[in-house]
Amino acid sequence: MFDYTFQWKQAMAKLPQMLDGAVVTMEVAVLSMVIGILLAVVLTLLRLSGSRPLAAIATTWVEIARNTPALFQIYMAHFGVASFGIHFSPFVSLLIGITFNNAGYLAENFRGALKAIPETQTRAGRSLGMSQLQAFRYIILPQMLRIAFLPMTNQMVWAILMTSLGVTVGMNTDLYGVTQDLNALTFRTFELFAIAAVIFYVITKIITLGARLLAARLFRY
Amino acid sequence: MKTFTLTAALLTATTLAGTAQADKLDDIISSGTLRCAVVLDFPPMGMRDDSNTPIGFDVDYCNDLAAALGVEAEIVETPFPERIPALMSGRVDVGVASTSDTLERAKTVGFSVPYFAFEMAVTSNDEAGITSFEDMKGHTVGAVAGTYEAIALQAQVEAWGEGSFRPYQTQADVFLALSQGQLDATVSTSTVAQANVQSGNFDGISVVGKAPFDTDYVALFAKRDEYGLLNYLNLFVNQQVRTGRYAELYETWVGGELPDLTVGGVYR
Repeated sequence: MFDYTFQWKQAMAKLPQMLDGAVVTMEVAVLSMVIGILLAVVLTLLRLSGSRPLAAIATTWVEIARNTPALFQIYMAHFGVASFGIHFSPFVSLLIGITFNNAGYLAENFRGALKAIPETQTRAGRSLGMSQLQAFRYIILPQMLRIAFLPMTNQMVWAILMTSLGVTVGMNTDLYGVTQDLNALTFRTFELFAIAAVIFYVITKIITLGARLLAARLFRY
Repeated sequence: MKTFTLTAALLTATTLAGTAQADKLDDIISSGTLRCAVVLDFPPMGMRDDSNTPIGFDVDYCNDLAAALGVEAEIVETPFPERIPALMSGRVDVGVASTSDTLERAKTVGFSVPYFAFEMAVTSNDEAGITSFEDMKGHTVGAVAGTYEAIALQAQVEAWGEGSFRPYQTQADVFLALSQGQLDATVSTSTVAQANVQSGNFDGISVVGKAPFDTDYVALFAKRDEYGLLNYLNLFVNQQVRTGRYAELYETWVGGELPDLTVGGVYR
């Protein structure tokens, strides 16, 4: 049934272009994680703030981010906002979409991590004369990030894989977009996507291993 | 009884021998179904009517081919980037999908002689102030990823050295982005441009002129080594023109001057 002659040489000649794409993919993923973590901390603070409207905003964000497809979020960041006259380039749309998703999931990770930290610690900090914010900043936050560290690695991997959805908003410089373009030119679908899959695998593997090493160093007692 | 056994043995032998040598053309005839890859996001070549039934030039062309083969036609919807995977994984037998017959692609799949030819047109957002192909220089332009015009337009943008090119996955996304002003202009086949501008689904866009790309000849495709099938497809395209069916379909779906499918001064 599947009689297809693989032409690796022709596909491997495109490897440099695909690696350039991999760099862009990394850029999007890293940026979306950095901004996503900051936003997730803000969302967590809003939820802890005790103010109902603020907590509601954070909860809405988290609910939408977690319960709708990433594809939908990215699509809305491009075509959705454009119907209100706001135009983002494919790169920015993709970045916004993934960051929105990251922030939602990470906020939920942080919430789980917070639950693992006994409430008494905040009170202990308060009784030592720290303000609420100081107690959060110096006692809770470091522990929260530590507990949530491996789930964060997970989200980073997910962010990298999500960049492949950028093609739906016209992105053609990331790894998946480049592969798709080359595929259109040559029709060497299987070879090109096999190479792309290997590159994706290697990137995510490096990140998970790197994160383990980093965790071992950062979180030593 | 003896005769029966002998007949049965003979029949089995014939069937076995037949299977051993059957090529794709035989498979299609014996299966009774011709599965065509058609892009249904590409009016008027392929689209859906109000009841969601596939219609269009390519759909009719597939039906004609199936009728010629004496089998049932099955339309398999394949977006542009998925035409080749569908063929290679055996989900479809032939592509009737407005596929440009580039030499680069012919290294991978087998093409028939051209069965249709497109002129390229520039469609622009009315606010972009673009009135010709050259005006697109420096603007954000786009087209459907993987099409002939996308490849040509991207090369042109690189040659201009300013402006940017964006490929979208579907023709609908391109016209949506154009009507939203995310794109200033697009190049598409003139038939598609007219159909979309007239559809009324996209505001504030108009066809402003021709794109000076070479005529985009599109061909039917099948697996590269299926000579029996490719040979049949060539004859079929020839017969469609000869019998006037090509002109008839063109009048039904497109209208206007019938594109010439021959190239002067060279065979095939």
